[in-house]
Amino acid sequence: MSPAEAKNFETAPEKAFTITRTLDAPRELVWKCRTDINHMKQWWAPMGTKIVADSTLELKPDGMFHYGMDLPDGNLMWGKMVFREIKAPEFFECVLAFSDKDRGTTRHPMAPVWPVETLSRTTFTEKDGKTIMEITLRAINATQEERDLFDASHDSMNMGFSRTLEQFAAYLAKVQSK
Amino acid sequence: MTPQQLDATFAALADPTRRAILARLSLGETSVNELAKPFDMSLPAVSKHLKVLETAGLISRGREAQWRPCKLEAGPLREAFGWIEHYKKFWEQSFDRLDEYLRKLQAGEGAKKTKPKKTDRNK
Repeated sequence: MSPAEAKNFETAPEKAFTITRTLDAPRELVWKCRTDINHMKQWWAPMGTKIVADSTLELKPDGMFHYGMDLPDGNLMWGKMVFREIKAPEFFECVLAFSDKDRGTTRHPMAPVWPVETLSRTTFTEKDGKTIMEITLRAINATQEERDLFDASHDSMNMGFSRTLEQFAAYLAKVQSK
Repeated sequence: MTPQQLDATFAALADPTRRAILARLSLGETSVNELAKPFDMSLPAVSKHLKVLETAGLISRGREAQWRPCKLEAGPLREAFGWIEHYKKFWEQSFDRLDEYLRKLQAGEGAKKTKPKKTDRNK
């Protein structure tokens, strides 16, 4: 395997992409919504799609959330999150990847140089009856090129998220003033 | 843009020197000598990067004059970032949906949906 193809690069911990959101609900409920397949089927899929009935979630190390999405263009796209460490209701770690109906690991057809596997850690912290949910994402088992592209795309993603948080804060203020 | 072209675009973008070159070119077209200035790198090394960018369609190089001006081509970049935007939106919107779902649950509307059903209509 040539050096360019060596897949042992990963995002440095200090360069991880982080998303934080405060949700107006107790931690136990947020944890359940994020780890129970019956809840996930209600909200996980983007608007205009649904998670298919064959989707499953096994909450244990090496278990996975395996989901298919019926896309508007008629395609069925599969994804998976393979769990590593789990400590309910505080955090869980999992490896994200595009998948197929047989739980294989695949690439997104439109982005051949995106890392195949992304390590994600989600933490849940309760504060004043609300839950702070933080997700960090890092490329793992990637070529240098894939890792560099993932890291480079964070700035544009982080900018987008700050705007979203502002909008969310404004919306909360509006809702709570009623 | 074909997957192969997108592949070439992403591969071109995955290098910090090439991204810096594109950033400089976004300010206006210029010469190879000008582009090489900020880097501790030989002109042939810079030219190699320019070749990758040109092959990916991210820059074009004029033929007039001896200095062959390098110019940024915005189209492929816009397409590549379209894909990154899509990835970013996925996370943003999943949070929005979780927000909405939690509100409904706590308002009591969602309670009926989570009871086990005999027939699963979620196909």
